[in-house]
Amino acid sequence: MATITCKDFMDRLDSWMGGNPPSDAEAHLRNCPDCSNLIEDIKAICSEASSWRVDEIAVPPRIWLSLQSHLEQEGLIHENRPAEAAKSTWFGGWLAALPRPALAGAYLALLIAGAFALSHPINRQTNEAWLAASQDSTLPLRAQLIAEQDSFASFNNANPVVTASLNKNLAIVDNYIALCEKSVQEEPQNEVARDYLYEAYQQKADLLAQMTERGENNR
Amino acid sequence: MSATHFVRKQFTWTASWKPLTVIVPSLLFCTLLSADPQPPRRQEQHFKVEAHPVVTIHNPNGLITVKAWTKAEVMVISNRASDNVEVDAEQMGNRVDVSTHAASDNVAPDDMRADYQINVPEDAELQIHNDSGEVNVANVLGDMNVETVAAAVDLEDSAGYVTIKTVGGSFQCTRCAGKLEVSSISGNLRLTDIHSYHVHAQTSTGNILFSGEFLPNGIYRLKNYSGVIEVRFSPADSFDLSATSLKGKVINEASLTPKSHQQHFYSRFGNSLFGTFNAGRAKVELTSFDGTINILKRD
Repeated sequence: MATITCKDFMDRLDSWMGGNPPSDAEAHLRNCPDCSNLIEDIKAICSEASSWRVDEIAVPPRIWLSLQSHLEQEGLIHENRPAEAAKSTWFGGWLAALPRPALAGAYLALLIAGAFALSHPINRQTNEAWLAASQDSTLPLRAQLIAEQDSFASFNNANPVVTASLNKNLAIVDNYIALCEKSVQEEPQNEVARDYLYEAYQQKADLLAQMTERGENNR
Repeated sequence: MSATHFVRKQFTWTASWKPLTVIVPSLLFCTLLSADPQPPRRQEQHFKVEAHPVVTIHNPNGLITVKAWTKAEVMVISNRASDNVEVDAEQMGNRVDVSTHAASDNVAPDDMRADYQINVPEDAELQIHNDSGEVNVANVLGDMNVETVAAAVDLEDSAGYVTIKTVGGSFQCTRCAGKLEVSSISGNLRLTDIHSYHVHAQTSTGNILFSGEFLPNGIYRLKNYSGVIEVRFSPADSFDLSATSLKGKVINEASLTPKSHQQHFYSRFGNSLFGTFNAGRAKVELTSFDGTINILKRD
C-alpha cells in the first residue's frame, strides 16, 4: 500500500473523524507518532466536549482538570506555578476574575466555545459548517462581554495614566477581535485564527475584569 | 538732632522691637506645638527576616526599585508625593507588606504617588503591583510576580520563577535565568542575555526580542498578534524550530534540517517554517498573526 505524508493525512482528517477512515490514512497513523497523538488528542477533547453538552451547568472537577490538561498540552496555559503567580497569565487572570458572576459566566462560555470549536464541526464537511459552529460558540461569549462592557460605559480611574492605558488597550483588543473574526470568516477551518480569536476574547475579559476592579476601588 | 529727639527715637525702637524678640519665637513654638504632626515624606524602615522572605508591594503610581543585598533584612525607603497618601510597611512573620493608600478622599492623581527603594536578601520572593510608573528589580534570585497596567518593568539578573503581566507597560529582562513567563497587550518585550530553560512571552501588538541561549531541553514560546518577533541565535545553539506567521513573513538565517514529519494544523495556513538546528535539543515556537518573525544570527 502506498504510504502517505502527514499533509496527506491532514487532508483526510475530516473523513477520518467522520467515521470513514481511509485505509492509507490508517496505515500512516500506525507509523506516525505525531499524527497518532493528534488523533488521540482530538478524540479526548471530543469526548470531554460531549460530556459538557450533557451537563453544562454543573461541570464536574474532573472535566476542569482534564480541560486544563488539554490546554496545557496546547501550550495555552502552564502548570506548576506558585499560588500568587497563577494570576499572572491571561488564563490566571480569568481565574482571578471568577468571583464576578458575569465574567465567570463568560469564562465558562469561553471554555465551552473552545471545546465546541474543536469538536462540533469535525463531522461536517464544509467551511460554512465550520463558520456556523464558530459563531454558535462565540456569540454567547461576545454578548456577555458586551454586556459587561456596557455596565461601566465610562470607566474613569483616579489615575489618568491608568485610565488612558486601559481604554487604549481595550480598543486594541477590540480591533484585534474584529480582525480575528474577519479571518475566521474567511478561513473557518484555520485553527490559528480561531486560537487567536479565543485568546483575544480572553484578553478582553481580563481587561474588563481589571477595569471593573479598579472602578470599584475608585468608588 | 536734639537730645530729646534722640532719646525719644531710641525709646521708640526699644519699645517696639524688644517685645518682638520674645513674642515671635513664642508664636513659632506654639505653632509647632499645635500643628497636626505629619510623618516625614521620606521614611526608612528596617525589618529583620529569615531565609526566603516574601515581600509584597502594592503601589498605585511611582518608581519602585528593588535591589538585593547580603543583609538578612529588608529595608524600605519610601518617598511620598504628598501628605494625602500614606505608606504602610509592616512585617508578618517572614513576610513584609508594603502598600500605599490615600489618606483622605478626593486625592489628586499627582498626589497619589510614592516612590520606593527597597533592599531585600537575594533569595527573597517578590510580589509587586504597580499600576503606573516604573518597576526596576536587580539581582533578586527568588520567585517574583509583577503586575502593572502602564508601568514599565525592568529586570536584571534574576534566577527564579518570574511571572510578569502588564497591560501596556514594556518589559525588559537582562541576564535572567530560571523560568520566565511574560504577558502584555501592547507592551514591547525585550529579553537579552537570557539563560532560562523556560520562556513564554506573549504580547498582542508589541514587539518581542529574544537574544540568549537556547538551553538543552528548554522550551521557548514567543507569540504576538502584530509587531515583530526577533530571535537571535548563535552557531552553537541547538533547537527545534517552529515559526508561523498567519499573515506576515518569516525571515530565517538558520540552516535548518527539514523535519521528517510536518507539524499538524499550523502548517496548513500562513507562512510556516519547521526545522532542526544542530541537534534540536531545545524547542522554539514562534507564532504571530500579522507580524514578521525574524530568526537572525547573533552578532
